Amino acid sequence: MIKALLSLMVPCGSVLILSACQPDIPETIQQGMVYCAEGSPESFNPQRVTSGTTIDAISQQLYDRLLDIDPATGELLSALATDWRLSEDGKTYWFTLRPQVQFHHTGFFSPTRAFNANDVTFTFNRILQSDHPYHGVGGGNYPYFQSVDWGSLVQAVVAENSNTVRFELTRPDSSFLSNLATDFASILSAEYAAALLQQGTPELLDQRPIGTGPFFFKEYKKDQFIRYYRHPEYWRGKTELTQLVFDLVPDNAKRMAKLLTHECDVVAYPRNAELKLITERPDVEVQSQTSMNVGFWAFNTKKPPFDNVLVRKALAYAINKDAILDAVYFGYADKAKTLLPPTSWAFYHDLPEQQYDPVKAKELLAQAGYPQGFRMDIWAMPVQRLYNPNALKMAELMQADLAKIGVRASVVSFEWNSFRRKLSEYEHDSVLIGWAADNADPDNFFRPLLSCSAAESGSNRANWCDPNFDNLINQALLTADIKQRRSFYLTAQLYIDEQMPLVSIAHSKRFQAKSVKVTGVTINPYGGISMAAARKSL
Amino acid sequence: MRKFRLYFEEQNRGPLTQLWQQFQRQHAAVFGLVMFSFFLLLTLLAPLITPHNPYLQNPDLLLLAPSWSDQGLVQYPFGTDDLGRDLMSRLMKGATYTFGIALVTVLGSLLMGIALGALAGMSRGVQSSIFNHVLDLALTIPSLLLAIIIVAVLGPGLWNTTWAIMLALLPQFVHGIRNAIQDTLKQDYVAAYRLDGASNWQVLRYAVLPNIWEHLTVMATMALSTAILDIAALGFLGLGAQAPTSEWGVMIADALDLIYLAPWAIALPGILVFAAVLSVNLVGDGLRTAMKKRREN
Amino acid sequence: MMLHYFLRRCFLISFVFVALTVLAFSLSYLFPGDVLTNVSGLTEIRPEQRQTLIKYYALDQSLLQQYIAYLNRILDGEWGLSFSSQQPVLSEIIAVFPATMELASYALLLSFVLGIPLGLFAAVKADSFFGRLISGITLIAYSIPIFWWALLLIMLFSLTLGVLPTAGRISVLFDIPTTTGFMLPDIWLSDISYKSEAIIDALRHLLLPAVVLATFPTTVMIRFTRDSMLAVLEQSYIKTARAKGLSRAQVLYHHGLRNALLPVIRQIGLQFSTLITLAMITEVIFSWPGIGQWLLDSIYQRNYPAIQGGLLIVSCLVIVVNMLTEILHTLFNPLARKA
Repeated sequence: MIKALLSLMVPCGSVLILSACQPDIPETIQQGMVYCAEGSPESFNPQRVTSGTTIDAISQQLYDRLLDIDPATGELLSALATDWRLSEDGKTYWFTLRPQVQFHHTGFFSPTRAFNANDVTFTFNRILQSDHPYHGVGGGNYPYFQSVDWGSLVQAVVAENSNTVRFELTRPDSSFLSNLATDFASILSAEYAAALLQQGTPELLDQRPIGTGPFFFKEYKKDQFIRYYRHPEYWRGKTELTQLVFDLVPDNAKRMAKLLTHECDVVAYPRNAELKLITERPDVEVQSQTSMNVGFWAFNTKKPPFDNVLVRKALAYAINKDAILDAVYFGYADKAKTLLPPTSWAFYHDLPEQQYDPVKAKELLAQAGYPQGFRMDIWAMPVQRLYNPNALKMAELMQADLAKIGVRASVVSFEWNSFRRKLSEYEHDSVLIGWAADNADPDNFFRPLLSCSAAESGSNRANWCDPNFDNLINQALLTADIKQRRSFYLTAQLYIDEQMPLVSIAHSKRFQAKSVKVTGVTINPYGGISMAAARKSL
Repeated sequence: MRKFRLYFEEQNRGPLTQLWQQFQRQHAAVFGLVMFSFFLLLTLLAPLITPHNPYLQNPDLLLLAPSWSDQGLVQYPFGTDDLGRDLMSRLMKGATYTFGIALVTVLGSLLMGIALGALAGMSRGVQSSIFNHVLDLALTIPSLLLAIIIVAVLGPGLWNTTWAIMLALLPQFVHGIRNAIQDTLKQDYVAAYRLDGASNWQVLRYAVLPNIWEHLTVMATMALSTAILDIAALGFLGLGAQAPTSEWGVMIADALDLIYLAPWAIALPGILVFAAVLSVNLVGDGLRTAMKKRREN
Repeated sequence: MMLHYFLRRCFLISFVFVALTVLAFSLSYLFPGDVLTNVSGLTEIRPEQRQTLIKYYALDQSLLQQYIAYLNRILDGEWGLSFSSQQPVLSEIIAVFPATMELASYALLLSFVLGIPLGLFAAVKADSFFGRLISGITLIAYSIPIFWWALLLIMLFSLTLGVLPTAGRISVLFDIPTTTGFMLPDIWLSDISYKSEAIIDALRHLLLPAVVLATFPTTVMIRFTRDSMLAVLEQSYIKTARAKGLSRAQVLYHHGLRNALLPVIRQIGLQFSTLITLAMITEVIFSWPGIGQWLLDSIYQRNYPAIQGGLLIVSCLVIVVNMLTEILHTLFNPLARKA
């Protein structure tokens, strides 16, 4: 009997012992890095999405853009476009394209030529021309471009020769170049698109991607992981990492556990509560970056009683933001009084702060005709975001605050992708969500969140369409004079404060936790993370 | 000093007393009974004796350590969770949910099982055969799976879970009761009752039920342990009770986020579920052994 | 006699399948929302398509005809589209199924290897210290909630000691092409250069989930084997054998074992169904990409076609295994054939 038990323990023991030794492992695993992400990508084409989760996973890894943004200064840098100039009336832009940029070679596609102007025209004409063969493929929605009303701005995109592209606008727009530098304006391969169209499978363009970026797509196991291998002919030089895997772990606690057991090398969105714990350990560390983001509580302004501005203001008075900053952000965020973070050049310093005043809230409610309060739901995101680490907890805190003024709130949540889908169909009463900037231009905060075109495209969570507001932000784009633009934006912030379609709650610092053996992972304040410069020491 | 008997008297205790005597001899079973009574008392008294309101959020005292550590306070013996709610009060209230609802489901299932089992046991022929087949089918599916199926259809929530588990426990009750009734019906005294002119209902009420209730108690304890585990499992999976209800399984799931900061918030509810199930199993095992020993005597 | 029994079992199996499919079919109506959406799985149905789809799914005909159409679709392999991915439900199920099978088989194997010897030991040495210790540990293991047990093991082995991983079937950096869907055979069949490292890594990932999943069946095995062996040891033929002069070990081996183990075979079937259920919880905690986690995710997301397909397959599996073990049991045990 004892013998039997012992003979059982020997193989088990040897497995455990052997697991400690790591003989002869190939390079794809030694210089392979695992990034634990908080969710699955909705698509592999950045044009089609606005979700930060998807952008982080695909944009800087697979693609390049015409322009890039300097993370430190916010200025524009050349990427696929080496040079650009503007006509005198501000309505025409010319871009000179970089030569010798190679697209990915994969098991499913081999390019026969380098990057040229046709790829740029294909990328943008797909969005602009409704009769383009690829326009409707996969659904025909380009949410970022629709929310900034790109279609009415850009008249034509023309390839003048193989390395020059001309953009013709209908009016001058000082945020145009900034928009070309966002992750959404990634350049696709026209040759690949043509090949797919011939094979009869155009939808694969967004599912099995080809780009010019530092990594190419190998495989995607739904809800499990994305596997990238390094692109050996990347124009900036091939990366140190030979393999990059995005391990999809929506559960916060599991993600943190994987960091500490070294199943993950880098982890997205560490919980604020655990930051102190990570800094205490010698084998992992925290990176932080001041980030241009805002977490807010948006009301569905087309649903009563939220169509009444008094009700919205009453709800704003009822919320204790300080308690939220402590319990949810653990102090790692700044209280917000407007959409723009204090680091933006258009930030309104002298805007009075929203006070926490439940008495005033009840008064306003009574004035609005709801002295007994009413029922509502608060939709809370199930995932951790840059601007809100724990929407469910925030909703519970607000539930208790609202109960004090007689408003019975219930907390609603769904799986992240279903959640965003239902939000864009305006099924909610109110929602806790936010926004992270894609570029340094203030228009990037106002237009995709509160403009009328954004309300149509589904990304305006307040479903708010106010011509006065639209007028203000449109005028701000017509001039290139910073002072004039600033005064328009100040007026816009005051207007939002008066109308209260949403309550800004906090601007969060962005954190990332990683193993000390990993270096070179950059958090971009204006967009998705990039692993191009990452390396892993042994 | 040995009991002094003046004359020899036959000591024939009633069956219940004999059972209790045999039960008492097993120390583990008595220990289980004590724990069981503790949980029962907790379930009934929890709304009255919790030191703090289990739902009150205290933003000043987030994640307080338990009172035995340096940073803890005596007023909050087990500390607070990440919304500032007192853990001890939540654990006590949780007994009402996990243990209390388990008791309710077992009682409900037992009553339904008696009704259905009686029907099945007293019937004969094709009706009985079809019923048996359906019952066999329902028996092969584990109760948790059945409960998950029902919750999948009805949607999550505490009430739906209660119904789901009641329905999930039903097959084993019906099966056991039907077998017990059929066995009893074969006895001679039932034949005697019938010859005396008793109707079906009278047979059931006077001959069958009094003879099977001990068997029922044992079944009920087995079902109770399954029910507690199932309720906690469903709560943990998010399919049962929802936050902010302080059901023990839900508390474990909530505390997963805090696995490094507050491991006691995961350990404590788990220990309570374990203790509750252990106590029920000890009592059940004790009863079964006591019955066996009583038969042997 | 055997044939008669076999036929009766077949009849029972078909009756069971009919009942299950009726239940699954009715779910399309029981779930909230538009019936056509639930049946087809398409989230966006354009008005022009509606009529064609209604005809295709026979929704304009009587319930019986709809049920027959449903049966035909099931047998054809058309189980509808998943709400979230808009991919066929059946292909998603086939992709995740082997993972659960692998985990459940290893857990079952573990429960055999541990449970039967321990149960025999507990029966033979019932009143000794070890015998009582085994009974005590069995009671504890029987009462512990599986998810808490899994968390405790993770907290100990993965987080504190750091020797075992917390999630997945294998480290994501290993690129193993999927041939069978079972991890260890797939590694064997692939043409990678680092097979032994990959196998060791896969075993490390398998260890904790298999131990957790095996806990409950092991306790049942121990109890059952012990009770069964105890009952056999009291039989007269054992006493006869001892009286004849056979040693303890010989008696145990020749007469005790076969008779004691027969009912244990039957237990396998029952344990398997419990295993599938417990596997669902285990898969959620260890992020094991099997059908349990897939089904639970579908329930969270209210993905009705997926829930329908998942429930159908899990219930069918449970019942099929039960039936098979009953047939096996009857093959080996003549006494049971009378039923």
